[in-house]
Amino acid sequence: MTKGTGVRLERLTKRFGRVVAVRELSLEVAPGELVAFLGPSGCGKTTTLLMIAGIYRPTAGHVYFGDRRVDPLHPRDRDVGMVFQSYALYPHLNLFENIAFPLRLKRVPADQVRRRVRETAELLGIGGILERRPAQVSGGQQQRAALARALVKEPQVLLLDEPLSNLDAQIRLSARAEIRRLQRELGVTAILVTHDQAEALAMADRVAVFSMGELQQYAPPDELYHRPKNTFVAGFVGSPPMNLIEGEFTGDGFRAGGLRLALPKAPTGRGWLGVRPEHLGLGPEGLPARVLVVEPLGREAIVIVELSGHRLQVLVPEDEKPAPDAEVRIAFPTGALHYFDAKGRRIGPE
Amino acid sequence: MRRYLTPLLFLSPASALILLFFFTPVVATLLLSFTDLSTTTFRHPSWVGLANYQDLLTDPFLKKILANTAKYVGLTLAFNVGMGLLLALLTSLVPENWGDPFRALWLLPRILPPVVYVFIWQGLLAEAPMGLVSDLLGVSKNWLVEAPWTAVILANGFVGASFGMLIFTSAIRAIPRELFYAAAVDGATTGQTIRRVVIPMLAWPILFVTAYQTLSLLTSFEYILLLTDGGPGFYGTEVWSLHAYHLALSNYFGNVEFGLGAAMAAVLVVIGVIVSLFYLKIFNFRALVTEPKIEV
Amino acid sequence: MALLPRNWPLWLLLLVLITLPIGAGILWLVLTALYNQVHGLIPVGRLAPQHWRFLFEGSVGGRPSIWVALKNSLFFAGTVAVLEVLIASMAAYAISRMKFPLRTPYLGMILTLHAFPAVSLLIAIYYILRVLGLFDTLVGVILVKASLDLPLGIWLMKGFFDQLSWDMEMAALVDGASRWTVFWRVALPLVRPGILALGTFALLSAWGEFILPFTFIVSAKSWTLALYMQSFMKEAFVDYGLMAAVGLFYALPVFLLFLFGQRYLLNIYSGGVKG
Ligand SMILES: Nc1ncnc2c1ncn2[C@@H]1O[C@H](COP(=O)(O)OP(=O)(O)O)[C@@H](O)[C@H]1O
Ligand SMILES: [Mg+2]
Repeated sequence: MTKGTGVRLERLTKRFGRVVAVRELSLEVAPGELVAFLGPSGCGKTTTLLMIAGIYRPTAGHVYFGDRRVDPLHPRDRDVGMVFQSYALYPHLNLFENIAFPLRLKRVPADQVRRRVRETAELLGIGGILERRPAQVSGGQQQRAALARALVKEPQVLLLDEPLSNLDAQIRLSARAEIRRLQRELGVTAILVTHDQAEALAMADRVAVFSMGELQQYAPPDELYHRPKNTFVAGFVGSPPMNLIEGEFTGDGFRAGGLRLALPKAPTGRGWLGVRPEHLGLGPEGLPARVLVVEPLGREAIVIVELSGHRLQVLVPEDEKPAPDAEVRIAFPTGALHYFDAKGRRIGPE
Repeated sequence: MRRYLTPLLFLSPASALILLFFFTPVVATLLLSFTDLSTTTFRHPSWVGLANYQDLLTDPFLKKILANTAKYVGLTLAFNVGMGLLLALLTSLVPENWGDPFRALWLLPRILPPVVYVFIWQGLLAEAPMGLVSDLLGVSKNWLVEAPWTAVILANGFVGASFGMLIFTSAIRAIPRELFYAAAVDGATTGQTIRRVVIPMLAWPILFVTAYQTLSLLTSFEYILLLTDGGPGFYGTEVWSLHAYHLALSNYFGNVEFGLGAAMAAVLVVIGVIVSLFYLKIFNFRALVTEPKIEV
Repeated sequence: MALLPRNWPLWLLLLVLITLPIGAGILWLVLTALYNQVHGLIPVGRLAPQHWRFLFEGSVGGRPSIWVALKNSLFFAGTVAVLEVLIASMAAYAISRMKFPLRTPYLGMILTLHAFPAVSLLIAIYYILRVLGLFDTLVGVILVKASLDLPLGIWLMKGFFDQLSWDMEMAALVDGASRWTVFWRVALPLVRPGILALGTFALLSAWGEFILPFTFIVSAKSWTLALYMQSFMKEAFVDYGLMAAVGLFYALPVFLLFLFGQRYLLNIYSGGVKG
């Protein structure tokens, strides 16, 4: 398998009038890697993708594919494939002609077009419906056709803009695995845009978390989860989100209102203490708290408790869930805490 | 700059034609109106300044032509808007499968070739036994000569009414159903519903149709030219735009007074430019412009 | 609509009454063309094939053959429609979908010209055509006609292009198309309703066009059907039967469209066509 090319963004900036959609973005995607751009809606993910594709011109900064600077190039000279959130199939062409479109533009001989379209369609399991128009097939099939159209010209870089967000929950999981498998098999460099952190963590080699046009953290899923760089990432990655308590670090502990925790090697100054719901323990030991709400999720349950005036979410196994209004004890795991300074930047523990 | 080559390519045929047949003629009309260009001076026109405009003002027939123009524009406009409104209301008061064919029927005068359309009027207004009107009235006369203004206004009005009809119909269709239900619940009669619900919603379309048609009637003369050619007699139905055309382009009186005709046309051109720029302003067309999302 | 009074047949009757003149006019044309004589609307005498002699005789009263005029009219209307659709679509596509300096003023200019009464320019256009050597040629009149209707066409087509999905156009660019290719292979096929509407409008408008050929064409060999028919009007003795037949022949495409494409016509003309 040929590997795709690496992608490097260098201080990429895009303004629309007053709005800064993307600010000074620098990151590198290794050849054959799948990177997810993760962030809430409107944070500049699509804009970044469209600058890589060549639809938008960067206000400043550069895009490199390998060593080649591509930002002055027309999209057709960049060798990228792209899947749009709306799939953007051509409604007046049947699926075969949709998938064949990039090849026809390259004036590939007709018999080769037929072979390659068939191959790609088979790979995606839509070989049997190529005669139909987009409007006559299901959303999942449209998504596959869009993917086939992006892959048929064997691009160096594959761009996926929320390709799964319009699918039913059931197909979405299998489509995740499918895309990941294809991408590995073909060795194409891929960038996946999503606002769904579970999708990003499940599919990507590395995840770039965006907020308001700025890159927050760029790391493998593990690191994102275990060492979030700031409170935004901490709150955005993981479900239910990390508990963040604003208070004061005292060098040997943390204080927030009535809450007092002894923490050896704690920093000093105002800041945030973070702890994931799944790391909080409900048991005989710990600080006394009162249960406010219990939300069963099936195998687990989210318990919302009040602890010295702070609301915390605790994730417990279903069979250990307490009753509402019960008095419980919360144990803080000293090994799984996160410290952030007053501006939200991670300051420990190392 | 290379990135603007593509839009330039797409725009150049249209721009060339617009430049050639809109902008140049506007300038040319103004320039010609300052010359004494005519059949006799076609090769060597000379600059005469405002002489043509002075001629216009001192023309003994100016009053007659102005009066004709006012009559033509005013009455035709009234017919167009009134009939358009009546048709829109009537076709909305009957079931749709009746209303639509009638609307289509009223489109016919507009889409029939003007020559054929005018010929039909001439036939209907002719002496008996041909003329239907003579037949019905029992008086055999050429009604085109007897009542030229009625003919001119009706012939133009039957063409123009459909414009208002279509616009008013769209406006009526855009009225929320709830308003009609509310009126019905309040026990309003059809007449009251029309007065209180429909007509108020048509204020803006009526203004639009009136404004639009005033300008186009002021400058149009095709149907009059075919129907009476400004007659009968001396300037019976000659209006401003037709007179300009006659002066400049028809060798009816032998000598074509191009410069003088251009001066008359220039008045219309200036009015046209001002009024259409004014429309642009009240139209608030900027709301219709969205930024393109592709930058290649 | 929600305004259907119980006594609607009365309103229908009124509608019929005010529409009678149109019906009477059409009926008069048809009967006069077909019968020897018509008193009012009552045919008298037999069918009159001699009214249709213009179809078979080479020329009537020294006029060119009607087939020449027909050929000219077809060429005139067809070329005008093709030019107008093509040129208006290209410009509308650029205005709707491309960034370039002065884009908004350009659109404003188109809208202004759309309202501007172009007939007031005839005198100057006459002069321009003479200067260009296009006076008394069909090509000249075609260019003038296509140009004068262009603002309307651009405005109409822009509305259609505005509705195309941006994602789809972006996809085509990523797939390797240039804007030119996108225009031809993606955008144009998808605005077919607009092309049909503008094409029909342009065909009808050019087919009936009188004042432009009348002003800019002299030679009988370049006559369109409008001029051919009008030439009978100037005669001292009016042969109503013959003229009605010519008129019916000339207006036949319009009647056919009216009979078989009413809904379609209404849609086109409701879309904001000039009055
Ligand atoms: N073509 C455009 N014109 C103006 N503003 C835009 C355009 N595209 C995106 N934006 C703005 O840029 C910001 C980022 O948008 P986008 O990249 O689409 O976000 P995301 O894909 O992360 O949801 C938003 O504020 C959006 O309104
Ligand atoms: Mg997006």
